[in-house]
Amino acid sequence: MSFQILLNLFLAFLWMFLSSNYSVSRFIIGYLLGILVILALRKFFKSRLYIDQLWAVVKLTILFIKELILANISVLKLVIQPKLQLQPAFFKYDTVLKEEWEITLLSSLITLTPGTVVVHVSDDSKSLFIHVIDSNDIDETIDSIKNSFEKAILEVSRS
Amino acid sequence: MKINNVILQFTAKIVFFMIFFYAVHIFFAGHYTPGGGFVGGLVTASAIVLLIIAFDLKTVQSILPINYIYLIASGLLLALGTAGIAMFTGKPFFTHFFDYFNLPILGKTSLHTAALFDLGVYLVVVGVTMTIIQTIGEDE
Repeated sequence: MSFQILLNLFLAFLWMFLSSNYSVSRFIIGYLLGILVILALRKFFKSRLYIDQLWAVVKLTILFIKELILANISVLKLVIQPKLQLQPAFFKYDTVLKEEWEITLLSSLITLTPGTVVVHVSDDSKSLFIHVIDSNDIDETIDSIKNSFEKAILEVSRS
Repeated sequence: MKINNVILQFTAKIVFFMIFFYAVHIFFAGHYTPGGGFVGGLVTASAIVLLIIAFDLKTVQSILPINYIYLIASGLLLALGTAGIAMFTGKPFFTHFFDYFNLPILGKTSLHTAALFDLGVYLVVVGVTMTIIQTIGEDE
């Protein structure tokens, strides 16, 4: 992954030196050509293509924005009810993520989607303790959301 | 009883660099726009304090093995030296010099000895803030 980015930068600089024109546009052209070369020779790399990983990050961002809007609308529906019929609850969510940044990202995503707040990470970093605003019917949907987030994060970190 | 602070610690690691970069930016912005050595020093100290909050005092001291007392002394020496240079050229104390130089990458840049004085202020502010916080924090 990092080797591929370095190689791509090296190819871009090489393109600049070959054309002896040291401008930003030249560099960008060289970089795009480098992407093409790396795509063509993807069988030589043992790890994934970094463009693939970048695409996973973009997909995760789009998913997050979508979930943010949907969850805000659902919380709005809860708030403007004439009679509050909320059942707040804590529940434990077992995660399969291991890295620090993965757990932090997942917790931030869960916290930023309204209705759920991560209050604690267990000492062995294997489960998150989540406070949910309404446990009546949301438990299953929330679990599906978590699976979508967790899947997307795993998609990013897959080597 | 050690609590798992994985989210706070990871975020502090990332945010530390952002705050430090902002401090450097605000330090160099001091001549024409709001900012300068004092604010930059305080922001830098706040970045280190964030690390101390997320981890603990001993860990941060092993990561950044800086003796802040020496930092204060070097900052004062730098400020005094910048002010004293003018006396050797026959100008009054605290006369600043500046000129325009053509640097290889940055192009035409104005270099001013006031920036060195500001660097002295910066070092003193970082040193004093960190000394105060460390001496209070170490009190068992």
